[in-house]
Amino acid sequence: MRRTIYLTLAAAIGAALAAPWGAAAALAQEGPVKIGLMGPITGQWASEGQDMLNVVQILADELNASGGINGRKVEIVVGDDGGNPKTATLAAQRLISEGVSAVVGTYGSSVTAAVQDIYDEAGVVQVATGSTSIALSEKGLKLFFRTCPRDDEQGRFLAATVKDLGFKRAAIVHDNTSYAKGLADETRAIFRDSGVEEAFFDAITPGDRDYTATITKIRAADPDVIVFTGYYPEAGLILRQKREMNWDVPMIGGDATNNVALVEGAGEEAAAGYYFVSPPGPGDIKGEKARRLLEAFRIRYDALPSSVWAVLAGDAFGVIAEGMKAAGTDGPAIAEYLHSGLQGYEGLTGPISFNEKGDRIGDVYSLYQVDAAGRFVLK
Amino acid sequence: MSFSPSVPGPPAGSPPAAPEARLPLPAKAAGVAAFFLIPVVLQKAGLGSAPYWLDVLNTVGLYAILALSLNVILGHAGMFHMGHAAFFAVGAYVTAVLNLDCGWPVLWTLPAAGLAAGLFAAVVAGPIIHLRGDYLLIVTIGIVEIIRIALTNDVFGLTGGPNGRMGIARPTVFGFRITRPQHFFYLIWFSVAVSLVLFRRLELSRFGRALRFIKEDPVAAEGIGINTSRHKLLAFVIGAVWAGFAGTIYAARMRTISPDSFNFSESVLLFTIVILGGSGSRRGVLLGSFLVMGLPELFRGFQESRLLVFGAALVVMMIFRPQGLLPPGPAAYMLPPPWDGAPGAGGARNGAFGGGADEAGGAGGPSPPAGGPAGTGTSGEGR
Amino acid sequence: MDFFIQQFCNGLTTGGIYALIALGYTMVYGVMKLINFAHGELFTLGAFLGYLLLVTLGLAGAVGPALGLALSIVTVSGLVAAAGHLLERVAYRPLRNSDRLAAVVSALGASIFLQNAIMIVWGSQYRAYSARLLPAVSLDVLGQPIPLIRILVFAAAAALMLLLWLFINRTRTGLAIRAAAIDQGAARLMGIDVSRVIAVVFVIGPALGGLAGLMAGLLYGQINFNMGQLYGLKAFTAAIIGGIGNIQGAMIGGLLLGLLESLGAAYVSVAWKDAITFVVLIMILVVRPTGLLPERVAEKL
Repeated sequence: MRRTIYLTLAAAIGAALAAPWGAAAALAQEGPVKIGLMGPITGQWASEGQDMLNVVQILADELNASGGINGRKVEIVVGDDGGNPKTATLAAQRLISEGVSAVVGTYGSSVTAAVQDIYDEAGVVQVATGSTSIALSEKGLKLFFRTCPRDDEQGRFLAATVKDLGFKRAAIVHDNTSYAKGLADETRAIFRDSGVEEAFFDAITPGDRDYTATITKIRAADPDVIVFTGYYPEAGLILRQKREMNWDVPMIGGDATNNVALVEGAGEEAAAGYYFVSPPGPGDIKGEKARRLLEAFRIRYDALPSSVWAVLAGDAFGVIAEGMKAAGTDGPAIAEYLHSGLQGYEGLTGPISFNEKGDRIGDVYSLYQVDAAGRFVLK
Repeated sequence: MSFSPSVPGPPAGSPPAAPEARLPLPAKAAGVAAFFLIPVVLQKAGLGSAPYWLDVLNTVGLYAILALSLNVILGHAGMFHMGHAAFFAVGAYVTAVLNLDCGWPVLWTLPAAGLAAGLFAAVVAGPIIHLRGDYLLIVTIGIVEIIRIALTNDVFGLTGGPNGRMGIARPTVFGFRITRPQHFFYLIWFSVAVSLVLFRRLELSRFGRALRFIKEDPVAAEGIGINTSRHKLLAFVIGAVWAGFAGTIYAARMRTISPDSFNFSESVLLFTIVILGGSGSRRGVLLGSFLVMGLPELFRGFQESRLLVFGAALVVMMIFRPQGLLPPGPAAYMLPPPWDGAPGAGGARNGAFGGGADEAGGAGGPSPPAGGPAGTGTSGEGR
Repeated sequence: MDFFIQQFCNGLTTGGIYALIALGYTMVYGVMKLINFAHGELFTLGAFLGYLLLVTLGLAGAVGPALGLALSIVTVSGLVAAAGHLLERVAYRPLRNSDRLAAVVSALGASIFLQNAIMIVWGSQYRAYSARLLPAVSLDVLGQPIPLIRILVFAAAAALMLLLWLFINRTRTGLAIRAAAIDQGAARLMGIDVSRVIAVVFVIGPALGGLAGLMAGLLYGQINFNMGQLYGLKAFTAAIIGGIGNIQGAMIGGLLLGLLESLGAAYVSVAWKDAITFVVLIMILVVRPTGLLPERVAEKL
């Protein structure tokens, strides 16, 4: 009996020790250049993570075909964060132990927050692709960058758009996720300064499905627009239930509603007229580089990436490769180059430069509206 | 309570009085020492992935501490408690707030975190402690949900809302800054060892025996004068205090905590560890932590079907081992040998017969001299 | 007042769905003293089987909305009942005489298994019930426009509950279920085949849960693989509020929970709605430790 536990423990530890042995043997000194990709390959946001991987893999294959980085081939090492901070810390340790000096990703802000310090302490450059929370670049980490915009930029654009569209009394609804709450707070603060009245401010629970009680309450507050900062499944449900209640108040959302599944969930009639602000979707990106990537993506996967975040992962890969060509494979040296050397690099989503915080400089947001056929039309 | 089949029949070479196939003390010490050498061995082997595997072990260790504390409530007192993440959360947030807003060094917040979690448990458990099994279960789930919602809604403006709190300082021990997985390995597994020893002593104490009696037959326990509510409440508080400590360690290791880390599924995970390993058995709980937290990491290759297999495995294991993988031994207490001040001689066998089947680490130190069969020994309490 | 009526109606629809799921929990609990944690996944399964029939196979388009709906109701309840029966055979029957906590963990394992099986079969994306079976019109209830689909869903839930109530109280099998719920041993001595009772309970409960899934799909138009987790937890709460093991209790508990949620959201805070619900639950249990309508069991000494 007693022996069983020791044997089991020994077996578990033995297995734990034996498993990585093969990986360690493969770790050669002058092999390919390893670049990490951290994304939600499984879990709730799996479709985002898988698109990220697909885009980066296409770009890496292209780069290798044209000679790689200073003659060395590039190898993508995948770390699945599952969209969960705890899984992510283990994934980060694993990527570091595989010997990467730079990492593309990841999508979720809270996930990035959990791994930033791990990468920083290990001297690994991280270029986040979908983590828009403001706090991430306010910690003073020298090795952190992102190709996506920050929530305050989106908040500014969203608030300005609401005002430009002529709305005076807004109901702000978020879903108490890190991202949606941040965007809602940002928008709310700007509304206060710009004279848009706040009729309602509260959070729904994702997954509830029945938002009629909330909609009825919002209706009683009598706004002339609903600003929803959460994700597309709930946006679709609200649009649908709002329509069932014969209430035709306009609604505007943030970039997390930029997903075709929004229209499927709401139904075309209910979705028609819905506004959202977002970086240009994969189909609206101009430029030769993006066109080539999307063509390659279509050939290989028979579809377009379902959102822009995967394309931003491609840009993260691009700047890392650029940094490695210029500064070698040492993390801090790459970071140094990205901060000061890289100016107006021609990325998939336009020119890329970073400020001292590691945030991308420049304007990326546009306004979209859903038309009667359920298509997203750039305004 | 079933009898573990391996209890009778002492192996050759051990004295007949020894109740169990115990490993001799040196072997046990060697085992513990070998375990604590893992980081060194991993480093020396030049294994690039050493930090990763140490981090996996750290996760296992952290959950072992939590599950051991839940074991007091669920395994020993027999209360269906599926809300342990709430106390864990209180501890972690107290540490975060004291460190970030008041500038306390992380490890100095440990007592405060435990105290806060314990106080919280005492306040919420008071009115609900008398609820029958499944009613208690839903109420404890409710407590976890209330806590999570409160944390998400930035209660008192301290919890940071859905973002949680970021940038918790690294812990220092005697001036040494704990940063890397191998450092945390020692911090966490030392805590596991301390927990094992303390919970063993708790189980063998008068209080622990009273709990076991309450679990087996609450009416009889009440009948001989044990104040069952008070004992249950105390078990709840002890478990919560320990979960609060674990919260401090968690906050120090993650440096960022957010409400998502303390949800209902987390409580379910802990519940599963205890029942799967063997409710009431420390060795079982330890094994459960390795299985529930460690195995999924070994199966990282099969991402999509990983949890499918895990769910099926839970069903199968429960069907074949309904008592858990390593259930505790039978509750047969021996009258202690006359207290002649010779703990060295009595130490190994002091305390329990089958109870010895039930310990994982630590040399069986002398248990408190006051003992006797579980029933009569507690007659003085609860008047 | 209009606001109150509107919110009251909102609450009743959600409550009706909660009540249907809660019935499955409470029936199983009444007879077996087991919390069937996999019940929420049977609800999800019902929603996805409805999706398969109505959207993927286009049943409503092929045979007309009314017949299509009737066919899917029969098929979904039949298939989910079969799944429930299988679940009982595989995961619970071997544990019938074991420790109750072992059965709880087995139920949790079955829940994880089913949820991931559904994810692997249908994927992790949200699926839309795009089939519009009913005209999007509203009826006037006390001066308030209430969507027709909501009225129908509530009516269907009420009808199912009435049928169940008649079955339990007016048939011999129902009598056997009530007897087994009070005392399995005594029921066995009275010549009741308890295994058969359990089998019946594990057919009716899942069938109702599966139908609730189909209704949720039609009502909200959007389903995904883990929807049963939240609904299962809420329905379990409802069953406990009513007094688990008591069938009327589950109905009352479900409706009460729906109302609590909508009125809590309406008059206090949307973000704190679920916390309010749980606080009320705890208060109810502090005052009445076995719920509003407790199951009839003699406390064993």
